[in-house]
Amino acid sequence: MPGKTKLSVGYGPNIKTINVELPPSEPRPWDTVDDMTVVGTPQPRIDGPLKVSGEARYTHDIALEGLLHAAVLRSPWPCAKVSRIDVGPAAKQAGVGAAIALVGVGDKLIFAGQDVAAVAATRPELARAALASIIVEYEPQPFVVQTRDAMRDGSPQVHEAAVEERRTGADEPGAERAQGKLSGNVRPGRSQKRGDAKRALNKAPVRFEATYTTQCHTHSCLETHGVVVRWNGKKAATVWASTQSIFGVRDEFAALFGLEPSKVQVITNFMGGGFGSKFGANASGTALAKIAGDLARAADKPVKLMLDRAEEHVCTGNRPDSIQLVKLGATNKGKLTAIHVQAHGTAGIGTGAGVGRNAASVYTKVPDVLVESADVFTHAGPAVAFRAPGHTQGAFAMESAIDELARQLGMDPIDLRLAHDAHPVRRWQLELGRERFNWDARRKAAADMRARNTRVRKGVGCAVSIWGDFGGTEARVTIEIGRDGRVVVKNGVQDIGGGIGTVMAQVAAEVLHRPVEEIEIQIGDSKLGPGVGSGGSKTTSSITPAVRNAAELAKAELAELAQTALEVNSTKNLRWTAEGVSVGRQTLSWADLCKRIEGEAIVAVGFRARNSAAHPRSFPGFETPEIAGAQFAEVEIDTWTGEVRCTQVLALHDCGRVMNELTLRSQINGGIILGTGYALMEERVMDPSLGVMLNANLEQYKACGVKDVPEISIVLTEVISGNNSTGAYGIGEPATIPTAAAIANAVGDALGVHVRSLPITPAKILDALEQQQRASQGGTK
Amino acid sequence: MQPFAIIRPKRVDQARELVVGKPELRVFRAGGVDLFDRMKEGIEDPELLVELRDALTAGVELTKDQPLVPVDTNPLPPAPRYVSAGALTTLAQLAAAALPGVDALHQAAGQAATPGIRNTATLGGNLLQRPRCWYFRNRELVCLKKGGDTCLAITGDSRYHAILGGGPSFIVHPSSLATALLALDAVASVFVGDEQASPQPVLPLHELFVGPEQDPTREHKLAPGDLLTRVWIPVLDDMRSAYQAVREKRSHDWPLVEAAARLRLDQGGSMRDVRVALGHVAPIPWNASQAAALLEGQTPSAKLFAQAADAALADAAALEGNAYKIPMAKGLLRQVLHRASGLALPE
Repeated sequence: MPGKTKLSVGYGPNIKTINVELPPSEPRPWDTVDDMTVVGTPQPRIDGPLKVSGEARYTHDIALEGLLHAAVLRSPWPCAKVSRIDVGPAAKQAGVGAAIALVGVGDKLIFAGQDVAAVAATRPELARAALASIIVEYEPQPFVVQTRDAMRDGSPQVHEAAVEERRTGADEPGAERAQGKLSGNVRPGRSQKRGDAKRALNKAPVRFEATYTTQCHTHSCLETHGVVVRWNGKKAATVWASTQSIFGVRDEFAALFGLEPSKVQVITNFMGGGFGSKFGANASGTALAKIAGDLARAADKPVKLMLDRAEEHVCTGNRPDSIQLVKLGATNKGKLTAIHVQAHGTAGIGTGAGVGRNAASVYTKVPDVLVESADVFTHAGPAVAFRAPGHTQGAFAMESAIDELARQLGMDPIDLRLAHDAHPVRRWQLELGRERFNWDARRKAAADMRARNTRVRKGVGCAVSIWGDFGGTEARVTIEIGRDGRVVVKNGVQDIGGGIGTVMAQVAAEVLHRPVEEIEIQIGDSKLGPGVGSGGSKTTSSITPAVRNAAELAKAELAELAQTALEVNSTKNLRWTAEGVSVGRQTLSWADLCKRIEGEAIVAVGFRARNSAAHPRSFPGFETPEIAGAQFAEVEIDTWTGEVRCTQVLALHDCGRVMNELTLRSQINGGIILGTGYALMEERVMDPSLGVMLNANLEQYKACGVKDVPEISIVLTEVISGNNSTGAYGIGEPATIPTAAAIANAVGDALGVHVRSLPITPAKILDALEQQQRASQGGTK
Repeated sequence: MQPFAIIRPKRVDQARELVVGKPELRVFRAGGVDLFDRMKEGIEDPELLVELRDALTAGVELTKDQPLVPVDTNPLPPAPRYVSAGALTTLAQLAAAALPGVDALHQAAGQAATPGIRNTATLGGNLLQRPRCWYFRNRELVCLKKGGDTCLAITGDSRYHAILGGGPSFIVHPSSLATALLALDAVASVFVGDEQASPQPVLPLHELFVGPEQDPTREHKLAPGDLLTRVWIPVLDDMRSAYQAVREKRSHDWPLVEAAARLRLDQGGSMRDVRVALGHVAPIPWNASQAAALLEGQTPSAKLFAQAADAALADAAALEGNAYKIPMAKGLLRQVLHRASGLALPE
């Protein structure tokens, strides 16, 4: 159905017809008229039983004949020159198959945890024990690990020359590139500009200014980073990798060892979490695939290198911290006239401190906006993209400032948001959330508790998110329909936990009218054809249209067989149902239809076209939809002890057409849980005088436990945008952007004073209360 | 973790015999929770674990009996009855025991760690575990506790360190049971002899622990080979108690501050036999005797409790990063006193 077509698109009661032009290969996108029977329904994960029974084999579980286990010696110093290194003694230790130096004499190490040497041995504990025999002498150098210290003149300089920005497939597509020149440890980075914010601020009758800080946040993947490398001769290798991007690993591994990419097979049958940190063959702060590959060559045996928990924290990336000075200008009546954000953050020795788009692209009715951000280099492990890179930091500061300005102006913070946000879906979400969360009554109750100075306080807050549909065209999905009626869907995509395999089965089932459980899904292997890296929340919108398109091609071939068998003039007269294919009273069962296939099977390969439409609003700089989200949070605070708990979150999200309601809700739950930890507990702690991470574990690095999870309600504000043939787009990142900001705003509502620093610990609550009390005593004097 | 052997003696004297004289290489294993942590973290590599499960007992009971103690040692504090718990009693058993007057113990045991750990961790092991200090637990660092020359919290990040009784080490004692048991005036039976049958001494809980001024490398008085075998809690008539902790997380987190109190209300409604303890504020479980003295004989009131909390923290001295613990401990202690005395908390 090439050419021009009409689509019925929209959300809620707001449905309209638009004209779109489709490439010849593209089926007409499912729109609001199409009636889905499988897509959109809640489907349990097809691999759930394997996962809960322990049968699922993760990279950690790979066992091969002769496998050696690797361990890496890491720099204990934040900054040091290597004056001697000798791995010879390690090679002689029990069970050791290979020992290699990763640095040479004279090399400078610039963070504690950097690769120094590696060993492979028959057992993991023998490898670790052998590391102790390696002789290394270091000349420690001055260092700096705290962002503010690194910004001062005369602070030890991390990089002497210009720093190349490193990007992965998990970074936000289209984000501005950092251009600035290095000065000390500070390099000015991305900026977003509209009008003249500085001038507008000068003229504004109402001004608000505050500094917000966020902490360094580690990904803490439950399955740590790691690979198993097996050489198949000198020019080919099989790599099992815990990765978000099978093809990214393949290409990087091939480049590291000078191989043809096609000679590298990468397998990720199951993986235990990446959150943006698992994109290449190597991790951001440790060359794990290079190390495993070199050790495997040296020992002539397959080598497994899985990092331990401390390494996972220290050298596989993190979310940069931030110090954000936010200035708002407004009229007395609450019209925002200017936003100026100046942000600094440290990505350690790496790049990537940014603050997302809440300030620049949500409040589009504000005429003058300037967002400036800068990288501050410190002697700490390099950051890497982390679920909505920059956005969570920026959302916390911007959404906090909006709430604080509303308090200063005596306005409802939702009203202030609605007055400056033009996205119709986000506006709808805010109105819906206000009603569903019982916002007005709860705000009143919070004000009452504040007035009575109660010991236990409650408060509510909300915040919003912006993200884009970044689905791409690179995936090629194969469908085979066998003469025996079997349907197999194949693609080299990895399931990072979102449940893409289940959704692929649903889409194929929808097109072919087959039961979901009879669709066989083969994923997780580069041999299965080009997939897509799972970053930017784009897996579903890249893969499901390709599945549909492949299924439609296969179905068209089946239709021709049915046309002949049922003796009809046109395939358009065929009726497809769960029973098979019919014309009038004649029905050909699926099994009988498939028996008519010539040869083994019908094989069709599908891919998605570029975007068709972006109703109702496109993401800045893209022709794809802007994804809206809003979250509401309630907190409870004990003002005597500072204990704070997030009790409820209401999340309203748009994710295009819902593919699988169950896994979708599960991803939103995950985003909220991550955001709750970010808001209240998680923080990388560096010792300022030793330059090492103090809480490189999951005891003092405090991620949410089961009792820390709020009660979560989810409202899906489905949008049919016409963006691709299934209408899917992503949810992974949007779901975590507003959580911490909403919680911070709820804390502000409970206390009547904002805590401007994440995580909002009991210590910070007590400090805010003490300052509030001091201010009020000062005021009465 | 490095390979090790394990042995399971039948009697305490045999267990003691295996460990005396070779403390570095041989250690007792009760629940093994903290021990395996230290082994996995690479801060201890013992060769032999001496398992105590056949040599010591588990179980908690209410009894009128007292243990035999050697002549010229102090017996238990006088009380009509005692709660008696074997050293191998798990935290889960202590939490579920439902015994009169010792709510503080139930609450401390029931809130610690996770259900899995509470089913494994023992009373004896909990009291004698090593600190969670992130300098002590980092195998790359040599702190005062590990034979270094300074406590690294002084120049470092001290958010989880001591505000009372600190110096030269500023760890906080990790045992929540110790906080509750100190308030409950508990006493520990200790096996120090070489014959199983001879009377063994008892130690009041406050004498079990060693502050850093005495010896920064240890937290308790027991010598290698000595065994804590049983804990006794005097149960006074009309005794009440409460325990509470502040944590950053609700699931599996160590307290920032904890407080426990025991008291009796006499017929006139006055508080008697008051004992107050704080935890995670000092290198030892902290006996807040000034607060107890202030409360003794008084009628419960919110104002009095606030004064007692001020008194308990009067000597507190914060490091760079832990000043928050002072108001937090005061607020928490006020709540515990309300709960222990039955005086309703303000909303």
